[in-house]
Amino acid sequence: MFLVHRSLLQGITGPSITPQGVCATLQSAIKLEHATIPPYLYALYSLDAGKNRQIADILQSVVVEEMLHMTLASNVLNALGGAPEIDTPNFIPTYPGPLPGGIEGDLTVNLAPFSMTQLKTFLRIEEPEDPLVYRSLAANPVESHVTIGQFYTAISDAIATLGDGAFVNPPRNQVGPDLMRESVVVVNVATAQQAINTIIEQGEGTTTSPLEGGGIVDAPAHYYRFMEIQKGYQLVADTTAPGGYAYNGAPIPFDPTGVYPVTTNPALCPYPPGSVQASANNNFNYTYTSLLSALHALFNGDASQNRMNIAIGLMMSLKGQAKAMMAGIPDPTVFTGPSFEYQPVNPGISG
Amino acid sequence: MSYLNALRLHFAGRFQANVSTVNNDPAHFDNAAFKSSYQNLQGPKMSPPNGWFNPQGDAAWRFLGCKVTAAWMPTGAVTSGDPVLGYIVADTDGRVPAKLVDAFADIWDRATGSVEGDVGAGAMYQSVLTNLQWCDVSASPFLSALRQAARTGLLSIKFNVDGLIMDNTSPDFMTGRIVGSIGPATASEPRHMVVGRQFMATTAGPDVQANFFKPLGAINFCSAVVDETASCIYLDLGNALSTAAPGGAINPQGDLTLSICDPTALPGDPAGTKVAIGVIPTSGAGGYVQNPNWYADTAGIVSLPLSPVQLQAVASSPLLISGDAGVWISESSSSSFVRADRFVYRMSPDETVEIPVYAMRFGKPLAGVGVNFQLDSSQLQTQVGQVSSDSPYVAPSPPVAVPEDALAFNPTAVTDSNGLAVLTLHTRDPGTPRFFNNGTDYGIDGQVYGVRPAFSDAQTYNGPVNQWNFISILLWSGFTPANPVTWTDLQPIFQQYANLYPVMNRFLDLGNYDAVVKNARLLLLAFGLHPEDPNSMPVTRDLSPAKRNAILAWLKNPLPGEVPARANTADIPEPAVGNLTGLAMPKGGKAAAAARRLILRKQ
Repeated sequence: MFLVHRSLLQGITGPSITPQGVCATLQSAIKLEHATIPPYLYALYSLDAGKNRQIADILQSVVVEEMLHMTLASNVLNALGGAPEIDTPNFIPTYPGPLPGGIEGDLTVNLAPFSMTQLKTFLRIEEPEDPLVYRSLAANPVESHVTIGQFYTAISDAIATLGDGAFVNPPRNQVGPDLMRESVVVVNVATAQQAINTIIEQGEGTTTSPLEGGGIVDAPAHYYRFMEIQKGYQLVADTTAPGGYAYNGAPIPFDPTGVYPVTTNPALCPYPPGSVQASANNNFNYTYTSLLSALHALFNGDASQNRMNIAIGLMMSLKGQAKAMMAGIPDPTVFTGPSFEYQPVNPGISG
Repeated sequence: MSYLNALRLHFAGRFQANVSTVNNDPAHFDNAAFKSSYQNLQGPKMSPPNGWFNPQGDAAWRFLGCKVTAAWMPTGAVTSGDPVLGYIVADTDGRVPAKLVDAFADIWDRATGSVEGDVGAGAMYQSVLTNLQWCDVSASPFLSALRQAARTGLLSIKFNVDGLIMDNTSPDFMTGRIVGSIGPATASEPRHMVVGRQFMATTAGPDVQANFFKPLGAINFCSAVVDETASCIYLDLGNALSTAAPGGAINPQGDLTLSICDPTALPGDPAGTKVAIGVIPTSGAGGYVQNPNWYADTAGIVSLPLSPVQLQAVASSPLLISGDAGVWISESSSSSFVRADRFVYRMSPDETVEIPVYAMRFGKPLAGVGVNFQLDSSQLQTQVGQVSSDSPYVAPSPPVAVPEDALAFNPTAVTDSNGLAVLTLHTRDPGTPRFFNNGTDYGIDGQVYGVRPAFSDAQTYNGPVNQWNFISILLWSGFTPANPVTWTDLQPIFQQYANLYPVMNRFLDLGNYDAVVKNARLLLLAFGLHPEDPNSMPVTRDLSPAKRNAILAWLKNPLPGEVPARANTADIPEPAVGNLTGLAMPKGGKAAAAARRLILRKQ
C-alpha cells in the first residue's frame, strides 16, 4: 500500500489543531490526488482502445474520480478559508519519483505505458489499510506511516475538532454538483466529512464492502477496479465466496500488442530539441499547464460554468493530443509519451 | 487606422494550421459511399483512395516561437531599451488553442522554384483583436502608446503565411512561416481590409500554369496607406514578394521603385510617364535581399517619406512599383477599388443580411458611386461529369451555386459619404442540391454561392480584378426533423462528422447511437458553445442552426428512432490501383480545390 509520512499530519493531530494546519494538510492532499493523474493518464492513453477497451474504461473511470477528489479537497480547503495552489511548477511531481508526502524509497511512481508491472504500482497507490476479500497485508503499517485512507480520516477528525465555527459562511469558492457530478458544497463539519468520506470510499471502498459508498455508480473502489485488471475478471457478488465477492465475472482481457511503444519517464531523457517528439510534447505540456491555470482559477473564486467549460475543453484537448502522439499520429513510426511538465511558454518547434 | 500605421509592431515565427483533410474530397461527404480507407493517411500516389495528407488533423491553430522583431512609433524605430522587443506573440494560456475555420485572402503561387500546390503558396489574413486585456505596460513606451491608441477596444492584426510543410514525418508538419503586424484600429473602419491604395496584380495569363494565382508582373496584390501627418507612405509588401523556396529568402527583383504615374499613361507600362518617389533597395542595411532579417523585421512593410509636392501628387495619381524588367504592379488607372470587408457568410433560409462593401479612390472613401452585385461562381469549387484517372477525387462532386433563385439581392447600390454601399441579401431554402445519388442520399448541407461587387461605371473605374475579391455565402438547407426528434433524423449528420473527422475517434464513435448517448453531457456542452468558442462543435462550423437546435434538443432526450444498419462502408468497389498509377503526388488540399474552380474547368 502507499504510505504517507506521518509528518504530513503535523498540525492536524495533537492538542493544538488549527485551521491553518488543516489547510496545509489539505493542500498536500490536493497535490497527492493530482499526482496520481499523470501516471494513470499515461497508461490510459498508451492503450490501443480498440484492443484493450475494458482496461481503458477502468482507468478512465478512476481518473475521473481522482479529478473529483481534487475538487472535493479544494472545496474543504476553501471552506476553511484557504486557497488551493495549483498553477505552480512544484505542484507537479517529478516522474520517476515518490508521490507527494510519500515515504522516501517506499514507492517510486513512473510515467510508463500500461503493463502489469505498472498496474502493480497503481494497486499499491490505491491499496486500503486492510484490503477486503482476497488479501490482507501481513505487516501492519509501522507507526510513522499512514495509508491515504488513514490520512484522510485524520483530516476528518481534525475538522470535527475545529467545529462548525471554523467554516466560512456563506459558502466560499465552492465547485458544486452543478459543475461536477458528485461534488459536495462544503459549509460545515458534516459536509466536509461527507466530501472526505467520498474520497476515501471511492479510493478504498468502505470497511465492509469493496463498493463505493455513496457514488452514483455502484462500482468497486479504485483498488478493486485495478484488481479486476490484474485478475482478468470483473468483481461480482458471489454468496459462495468468502466476503461475498469474487473475481469471477466477465473476463477483462489484456492484449499486450495493444500498447503503443512509448518511452517510460520521458522527462528523464528529454526529447531532442526540434524533433517531432519535442514538438508534440511542448504543445501537450503547454496545454497541461494551461489546464492547471484554469483549475486554479476555478478553485479560487471563479467557480463558474464558463470556467468549468474552459477546463473541460483543455482536458479534451489534452486527451486528443495525448492519444494522437502516443499512437503514432501523424508519423506512424514515432510514438511520443507526454512528459507532464510545467511549461508556461510554448517554445515552439525549436524548443 | 490599421496595422499600416506609424504605431505598429512586427512579429515573426511559425504557425501551425492542423486542418483535417478527409473533407478535401466532396465525394467523401457521401455517407452511403464512404469507405474506411478514406480516413487513412495517403500513401504513394493517393492509392488506394484515402484521407489525403492529414486525415487526423484537429484544426488547431498555433503560434509557435513567434517573437516581436521590431516596433515603430511616430518618433521612429523603438530601441532596445523598450522591453516589447523581448516579447513573444503566443497562443492563449487560458484556454485551448484557436481553431482554423475561415478562409484567407490573396492566396498565390509565392514560391517560384519547382514546387507544387499548397507548399508553394502564400496568403494573408487581416482582422482585429478584441477582448483586449492589458497588464502593467508602463515599462514599455511602445505598449503604453498602443494601449492609449486602443481605447476603441480593438487592435488591427495582419499576417502573411507561406512555406507550409506537408511532410508528416517532419517536426514542422502542418506548420509554416508567419510574419505579421499589429497596430491600432478604429471601430468605424473595415476590419479585414485597408482603406488605402490598392495595387492590383494582373494574371500571368491562361497559358501560365498556376495553382492559385501567378501575377504577370511577379508582385502580388498589396496595399499602402498615405500618412499626411507624418508625410510618408506605408507600403505593405508582406504577401507581395516571391521567394525561390517555400518559406525561403525573398527573390531578388532589383531595387523596387515606387512611382507616381502620369494618369494618362497606362498603368504598368514602362513607357508611361512616371516619377519616382522612393526606393526599397535590394542591398544595404535595409536591403530586402541583402539583409536576411529584412522580412522578419519588417513583415514586408516599408515607410517611404514624401515631400509636400509628392504628397500632393499622390493624392490624385495612380502609383506603380517596379523593379527589374518585367517586375511591376500598379494601382488601376483610376486608383479605385471596391471590396466587401467581411467576405464569408453562413446563412439559413429566410434570412436577410446587410453586407457592407467599401469603395475607395486614391486611398480615400469614394462617395456617390454605383456598385453592381452579380452572382459569380467562377471561383467556387465543383467538378461535374466523370472523374478522370489522374484525379485524386473518388467521384464527381455535386454542383455549386444552384438553384440561383435561392438568393435575392439588390443588383446595385450607391456609396454613401463614407464610401460604403450595402448589399442586402435575402435567402430562401435551396433544398438539398448537394445530396448524392440524384438527391436521395445524404450529402453536403445547403449550397455555396459567390457574389462579386464591381463599379457600375466600368469605364471610369476600370482596372484588373482580383479573382479572390468576392463574397462567399454558405446557405444551409431547411431542416425540419420529426417532433420529438429521434436518432433517425440525426444519425446521417453524426455519421458524416464521424467519417470526415477521424480525430473524433479519439473521443467516441459519433455514428454510434450508444456512444453518442453515453457522451451526451459532453456533446451537449460542445454543441451548445458559441461558434466563436474554440471548443465549439463542429470545428468546421458547417452545421446549420436548425440542425444544431435539433441536436441540442435530442441530446437532452435522446430517443433512438429507427435507424437502418450503419451504412458507412458502401459496396462500390475500390478503384483499381492501376487506374491511378499515372497520378502525380497530390498538391495539397487548397491547390487541389483551387484546381476545381469553375473558371479553370472551363478553360
